[in-house]
Amino acid sequence: MSARRAARSHSLLHAILAIATLGTVYPVLWVVSIAFSGKQTLAIAEVPPDPTVLDRLRAILPWPELWSFSNFVSVMTDQPFARWIWNSVIVAAATTVLGVFLACTAGYAFSRFRFPGRRKALMSFLVSQMFPGTLTLIPLYIILVKWLGLGSTYQALVLVYATIAIPFCVWMLKGYFDTIPRELEESAIMDGASPAMIFLRIVLPLATPAVAVTALFSFMTSWNEFILAATLMDKEVMYTAPVGLRFFVGGYSQQWGYFAAGAIIVSIPVVVLFLFLQKYVVSGLTAGAVKG
Amino acid sequence: MSRPPSSRRRFLTGLALAALAGAGMLHGALDAARAAGDRAAAKREAVVRIQALAATLDRLGIAGEPARAGVARWAASDSSLRSIRVLAFEGISLEASTVPADRGERSAPRRLEREEKPLYDQGQRLRAAVETNAEEGVARKAEIEVETGDDGSLAVAAPLEREGAVVGMVWIEQARPPGPPPRAHPIESALPVVVALALFYAGSRGLGERRGALAALAGVLLLAALAAIGWRAASTLRADLRAAESRIAAAVDREARRAGEVAATIAPGAAAAALDPARLDVDAYRRPLRGGAPGTAAAARGLARELAALARATTVMLAATGALALILLAMVGFGTVGRLWNTLRRHRQAYAYVVPAMLGMMVLVFYPFMYGIALSFTDATLFNTDKSIPEIWVGIRNYLEVLGDFSIVRQTPAGPVINYLNFYWTFFNTVLWTVLNVSIGVAVGLALALILNTRGLAARPIYRVLLILPWAMPNYITALIWRGMFHQQFGVINQVIQIFGGRPISWFEEWHTSFATALATNSWLSFPFMMVVSLGALQSIPADLYEASRIDGASRWQQFRAITLPSLQPALVPAIILSVIWTFNMFNIIFLVTQGTPESSTEILITQSYKFAFERYRYGYAAAYSTVIFMILLAYGAWQNRVTRATEAIA
Repeated sequence: MSARRAARSHSLLHAILAIATLGTVYPVLWVVSIAFSGKQTLAIAEVPPDPTVLDRLRAILPWPELWSFSNFVSVMTDQPFARWIWNSVIVAAATTVLGVFLACTAGYAFSRFRFPGRRKALMSFLVSQMFPGTLTLIPLYIILVKWLGLGSTYQALVLVYATIAIPFCVWMLKGYFDTIPRELEESAIMDGASPAMIFLRIVLPLATPAVAVTALFSFMTSWNEFILAATLMDKEVMYTAPVGLRFFVGGYSQQWGYFAAGAIIVSIPVVVLFLFLQKYVVSGLTAGAVKG
Repeated sequence: MSRPPSSRRRFLTGLALAALAGAGMLHGALDAARAAGDRAAAKREAVVRIQALAATLDRLGIAGEPARAGVARWAASDSSLRSIRVLAFEGISLEASTVPADRGERSAPRRLEREEKPLYDQGQRLRAAVETNAEEGVARKAEIEVETGDDGSLAVAAPLEREGAVVGMVWIEQARPPGPPPRAHPIESALPVVVALALFYAGSRGLGERRGALAALAGVLLLAALAAIGWRAASTLRADLRAAESRIAAAVDREARRAGEVAATIAPGAAAAALDPARLDVDAYRRPLRGGAPGTAAAARGLARELAALARATTVMLAATGALALILLAMVGFGTVGRLWNTLRRHRQAYAYVVPAMLGMMVLVFYPFMYGIALSFTDATLFNTDKSIPEIWVGIRNYLEVLGDFSIVRQTPAGPVINYLNFYWTFFNTVLWTVLNVSIGVAVGLALALILNTRGLAARPIYRVLLILPWAMPNYITALIWRGMFHQQFGVINQVIQIFGGRPISWFEEWHTSFATALATNSWLSFPFMMVVSLGALQSIPADLYEASRIDGASRWQQFRAITLPSLQPALVPAIILSVIWTFNMFNIIFLVTQGTPESSTEILITQSYKFAFERYRYGYAAAYSTVIFMILLAYGAWQNRVTRATEAIA
């Protein structure tokens, strides 16, 4: 009896979950159908002048009338999108390397050394998370573009992204380093290892999972960032992928096919990475919040 | 064991360091100012040249033989001009050119070639600038463009007009004036330092270890030395300015005469009206730089204003340097630097690890933050970023404008209308936006988490991955997708409405529908976070708690109230705090989905401040706006902190 009741209530739960899942997946399917439609319009199917319900249903069914790769091919060849992705790749790679380096060194020091100013520095990192983006955006624009002349350069974006990622990464790594027993390092000192060797050979390898999350976070910060790139990159050849995607459908431009194809190319790496590593990100985020 | 240095020796070292640093700063600033002044004068002279040439071309006509002859004659008579080019938009032709490569087949007149497109673009840019400025009635876009070449030469371009319309462009290249830029001799700055040190050495003999007296003597000598250097620098700069002024006056004279001569030789018949000298010495917007021709009263007033500004700038520079040097002196003299140095040395390994990250944060986060707050007290705009903060200081005016404007509803003939640019409207909109989003996110996320947590439910991992998808997608892409789906004619949402017999809605033309689009988008992408957090917390609740309560006869609802909710709290509260701050500052969704439409009614604070900065170019006002946002968040954080502490204390 109870098994049958459970099955019945489960079917209700499945119905709710199915509706919710349809809601979450639909926009993704929509973008896929536009991308493979081979056209630039944002209608999945043409609606005739006097449409029946069936015609309208066809127009919302996320399945292209004709499957075609042409949007993918031409967005990468006719459009400068390949170049924009390349820009994003360079900036994201450099940001990741720089961000991980800065966060590892600082996180290690905050975890292992007691020095004057340590608490203040850690707190200041947390407070900086509350600065509204636009408050620092204007000065950053003036400093980087007007004073240093770094408008439309990789350096400007890499430096800014790496520092944006620092507070989260430092807190996260510090927390992880704290869990690594000090005895390991002490015995290494007994064996005559230098401080740099302890850091590079013992602590960092043990912290690989945390370093990986830090790297992922730095990468995603840079890969997904839109507004700073839109403000600092004026020249079309220096656009990053997000700015380029907006370029396709912003203002009076209506190249939805290019946008959809580009969006899929740009999303796949981050979506895959995110799904693999999301549980670390969640724990890191809430850990930081609890301490704040 | 080394003896701790005596106070006298410390103050002597401090004085030496502070005076040298101060003198170095002043000297560097003087050199930079002189070089900048020299460059500015060279640019002004180049502008005088091109304006005189443009005026002559106005008289001779820009196309045809007289223009070419005039240009050739002009180039021959001025040895510091490397080349001249004249461009007519009609027929995209190069009308005259003295560039060495434009000979033989390539000699003017001819059509512009493909690789000369930048030249044509520059012409069109100038035309657009002139038209924009005339339309708006303000000088916003440069009508004369000056570029500095690698070798110090200047390339200048100015528009050519006929009957009020821009029909062409004239372009000249001026060679770098001979000789190095003016530099001050370092000995001029070093001498006062040496004198001050000698005086301190002699004067401090009788003072022994009395630190107050030593500090006072060193401070007075330091300021005196810096003042001497500053005074000397100021008089040098004044002299430079006057010299530049007479150099320009001479140039205006010379070029006006040249214009007359060329016009008279090429077209002797035409009555040569004298050139208006006020038209030659102009700024980038072709407005008289000094308010009048050299020698007039207006020009004298202009020069006096310039001198006064120079005096102000020097005073500010001197005061800043003096303050910094005094701090350095005090720190060395009273031993702070020594103690600091010892701390640094004791913990040098720790600091070496921290310094790279800290430096980055200082330069790219904390300094911009401070600078932003400083900007909020100025009327900084796109056009005065080169000015120092004291020059554009307006006190709390921006804050009064942001916070003191209560005219939320405006009366119009058609009835009352909400003034959507008002801060309080946007604030209300932001609060509504945050509350609705977070409530929906928590409700949907928690409900789905509870369902997913059902034991024995089939296909759980699949649902979980699919439901997390919105969080994994970059949010700017999500925003653009939803904007497409809400399209009035082709969007799928309106198709669905039509299936059910409704009429298509123009989503972005009214506040409530536009707001709903953004709300739908943001709810879609924000519930997975809440779901994942809740699910994690739910799974950590031990099952025996439920078993035990069932034995005690508790109902489902009682279990939820007594076990589930309290166990969720430690995870949910920080997640909600975080989510409130994120949503409050959720820039991308508003900026990309509604774009603020209609009439800025759906803007939230963060997007509104961005628009003030980068669409209306009011940097100072936007900085004040952002500072207010920061204050609101800070207040929220403090309040939240107290509330959570209080609940923790009760629990």
